[in-house]
Amino acid sequence: MLPQRSRLSVLIFLIPPLALYGIAVLLPIFQSLFLSFFDWDGISPMTFVGAENYITMLTGDTVFWKAFGNTLGYVAICLVLQLGGALIVASLLTLLRRGREVVKTLYLLPAVISTVAIAFLFQRVYSLDPVGLINQVLAFIGLGNVQHAWLSDVSTVLAAVSIPEGWRFTGLYMLIIYAALLAVPAELEEAAKIDGASWWQTFWRIRFPYIRPVWITTTVLATTNALRGFDIPYLLTNGGPGQSSELLTTYMYKTAFTSTNYGYASAISVFVVIECLVAVGIIFLILRRKADA
Amino acid sequence: MKHRKLFAAAATTAALALLLTGCGAGGSSGSADPTNIHPTGDIKPREISWLLSRPADGGVITAMKQIADEYAKDHPGFSLNLISTPDRPSYIQKYETLAAANQLPELFDTDATPFAQKLAKQGKMMDATALLKDLGVYDDYRPAALNYQRFDDGSLYMVPFEFQLEFFWYNKALFQQAGVQIPTSLDDIPAMCTKLRAAGITPIALDGQDQWPLERYMSYYPFRTAGPDYIQSLKKGDAKLSDSTGTAAVNWLSTLGTAGCFQDGFSSTGYSDAQASFTSGKAAVYNIGTWELGSLATDKLDPAIRDNIDYFTLPVTKGSVTDANEYVSPSGIGMAVNSKTYDPLVRDFLSFALKRYPAVYAATGALSPTTNVSTTIPANATPLYQRAVDQANTVGDKTAMPWDTQLDPTSNTRLQQELTLLLQGETKPDEFISTMDGVIGENGPKAFK
Amino acid sequence: MSTLSLHRATSASATERPQPTSRRPKRNLQSRITGIIVAAIVIVQVYPLAWLFITSVRTEQDFAGGNPFAFPTQITFDNYARAFANGNLGLNILNSLIVTVGAIVVIVFLGMMGAYALQVLGFRFSKFVRGLFLIGIIVPVQVALVPLFVDYAQAGLLNTYQSIIIPLAGFALPTSVYLFSSFYEYIPSEIYEAASLDGAGPYRIFGQITLPLSVNTMVTVAMVNSIFIWNDFIFANTFVLTDGLKTIPLGLQNYIGAMGKVDWTATFAAVCVSITPLLLVFLILNRAMTYSLASGATKG
Repeated sequence: MLPQRSRLSVLIFLIPPLALYGIAVLLPIFQSLFLSFFDWDGISPMTFVGAENYITMLTGDTVFWKAFGNTLGYVAICLVLQLGGALIVASLLTLLRRGREVVKTLYLLPAVISTVAIAFLFQRVYSLDPVGLINQVLAFIGLGNVQHAWLSDVSTVLAAVSIPEGWRFTGLYMLIIYAALLAVPAELEEAAKIDGASWWQTFWRIRFPYIRPVWITTTVLATTNALRGFDIPYLLTNGGPGQSSELLTTYMYKTAFTSTNYGYASAISVFVVIECLVAVGIIFLILRRKADA
Repeated sequence: MKHRKLFAAAATTAALALLLTGCGAGGSSGSADPTNIHPTGDIKPREISWLLSRPADGGVITAMKQIADEYAKDHPGFSLNLISTPDRPSYIQKYETLAAANQLPELFDTDATPFAQKLAKQGKMMDATALLKDLGVYDDYRPAALNYQRFDDGSLYMVPFEFQLEFFWYNKALFQQAGVQIPTSLDDIPAMCTKLRAAGITPIALDGQDQWPLERYMSYYPFRTAGPDYIQSLKKGDAKLSDSTGTAAVNWLSTLGTAGCFQDGFSSTGYSDAQASFTSGKAAVYNIGTWELGSLATDKLDPAIRDNIDYFTLPVTKGSVTDANEYVSPSGIGMAVNSKTYDPLVRDFLSFALKRYPAVYAATGALSPTTNVSTTIPANATPLYQRAVDQANTVGDKTAMPWDTQLDPTSNTRLQQELTLLLQGETKPDEFISTMDGVIGENGPKAFK
Repeated sequence: MSTLSLHRATSASATERPQPTSRRPKRNLQSRITGIIVAAIVIVQVYPLAWLFITSVRTEQDFAGGNPFAFPTQITFDNYARAFANGNLGLNILNSLIVTVGAIVVIVFLGMMGAYALQVLGFRFSKFVRGLFLIGIIVPVQVALVPLFVDYAQAGLLNTYQSIIIPLAGFALPTSVYLFSSFYEYIPSEIYEAASLDGAGPYRIFGQITLPLSVNTMVTVAMVNSIFIWNDFIFANTFVLTDGLKTIPLGLQNYIGAMGKVDWTATFAAVCVSITPLLLVFLILNRAMTYSLASGATKG
């Protein structure tokens, strides 16, 4: 702490960022809470409905629960792809002798492409008629009979919309984990190997505990990012077929901006806020406890 | 203590903002009288904007640009700013949010939706009957074109700029190959599909991604068996899909699904892919309107199949209450005139533009919403073009309204989703009916209060 | 765990890397296999992008009729001509640039100020303020859409650059504050004390000491955020209403025509044009970027 700070100077530095943050983030959260007790279509007067939006949402809205389930599935697939993929590639990368920089760059490339472009791209990748990339590869390796309209089948569509999201950011998480892995002291691992520990043991008992703090951060980042998932399902399938790829975020968006039911959409928003706080709480609980054990 | 004061300040601001929100939004902000089509004052040229949802290089925009340029010559300082969002769902969202923000421009496109009706009731749109009559052009319009724009109570707030007929285009060679005839009844279609499938042909190409094409199929059967009034009572919750009309329609749709009428993976097929499937000779039938005449009835078509293309109109059913010459004949999304910004200039420009428009538009090869001009057939047209254009003069009085312009948005979104599931065989007809009756029962009556 | 690692550590120092020559062939094989696996993963990762560029130079007929994944029979740049004719790509890129630069400047400077107040100046309730900022990292941005839309409509801010910049900067601010404050932790307090003794107040210290020292972190913050802001779809899609303000993601959306008709090859050409600026920046600043992304996220 600076000895010569004054109350005023603290305020001068603190107020501008806090004001922006308040206007852009905190105020809207409060407003959502407020709006969620009203029925409002944007052009007619607002009417107070008490907890009715919440009651409908939690007890009577099957789409809402479907979307909630889908969101969990979406997050799970994204996490497996992003964290699992990132960990594997980062580990492989540490074994590589040459070309690490090139691989890192290429691997990160998808992150710079806008989601609209990615949606256009994957529409063609998954397509059946005309035959898209995946179906062509399947035909090429003799699996023509499993060719599929991946975005039309209710059982594959959720995975199909999650994969692009996972794909696009694996590179980012890989970089983070790779940097952490490099920081693991080589002596520790060498020693373990010489003691006859298998690769898996070395990994699990030496490397992983070492990178655990980074792993927690990465998990939180990936989870909150996946919970924010919106663009790709919205653009690729618009939640369909049926509600098979509807997420809470896309459902909230449609309720607000297609059905112009701003009150109900706000109730969904409030639920999403709570869901995210709970998710982050759970991550800390699980990963911290493991660290203590 | 510092932060507590700070937080108190933030909370006060928040409360204040909320208060403002509560009071400010939604009220009718002193709009002008929507029937006062003769505003007083001078014509002061300025830029006026038209928020629209039409293809950027299409006939309407081309014609209106030309007309605006002509008008600007005599009225220096005038310009028409065309803001087009062709993608319809994005457009609707944009226009509804602008309306909520009370920031609609002078002219804006809308279908006769429940949302538009609310705007009309709040006096935010000019009365189009009064306007067109005053300009002396009302009687030039095809009655069907005006009727398409009307709200349920018969009032008219939107001006049509197009007139389209929706046909079932088909490939004669593929029909012959599979040994099928043009269906005379809607009930013939499933059998037709089965035969085409058996011959290894995609029966019907469908753009499932954009939802509205499939929703058309939902509207066909009730239009034949119960007439155009059915959807008007259904959307308010007065009629149910569980009654005989609705059940018959849903069962028919379900048989379309089981007969494999649409290509595999139709729900993720886009507009261009569906059309390509038909124009490349893969699919036998394609249901689309005359706005595609340029692609389907000109030499742009692959010579190999050009002469095999023909069309038939919506088949009837046994005991059909509507005639064979009555089907979907939309006059496109209509243009509404914002009453808040309506002034002598807007009136003068509309007077000039609406009188000039039919001739300019018909010259582009399109069907005018009026009857006082004849369409110029393009030089590269096939004989089908002329036939399709002439067909417009034989259209009956009743028109099959697309359901996406009729239902409230929540029911509409849900219907589109459930239709895909029904056609894919994921839900049974009775589940479909009970789901949709529930959703419409909950949202419809509220929307049409 | 601790005894185990201790044991390993001692044995490591005892056997000073012997590297017997007999083990080399095995290691070679292993690293070759690793190389092949990595190459395969990289191909999966990059192939869709290559395909994007290939498609953008295909003829329409080649794309619609032929095999869309084979090499093009002939190369055409007509798609690019159509892409530029049908859209406002130049304007879209300019708008994206304005929004990105605007938001980044705000994020960097307000982030620095916030971190300075929290970390360097310090005050009684700094923990509470930090907690407040944590909310912004956790909560998804969609929550702000409806309220912000309503607020903007009231304030007449809809359809302005500010309307996109405010939420983008607001939601990115917490990470920025955290990054700067974790960096400020490492600035030794002696420096500040010395400056204070020389009579420098908090403003001079900020301008003459903290700010110049922060340059690296500034680059990190700017880079981490620029990817997300350049590609933002949701705020722009909600708050931008006219063509003149459309950013790249919205401009691309414009290639979907009436009733859902898409000119695919022109769209892919437009996609290629739209990703080129960021791609170039990315490839040029490659090292700095990968470094800052990794360090940025680990510290955050």
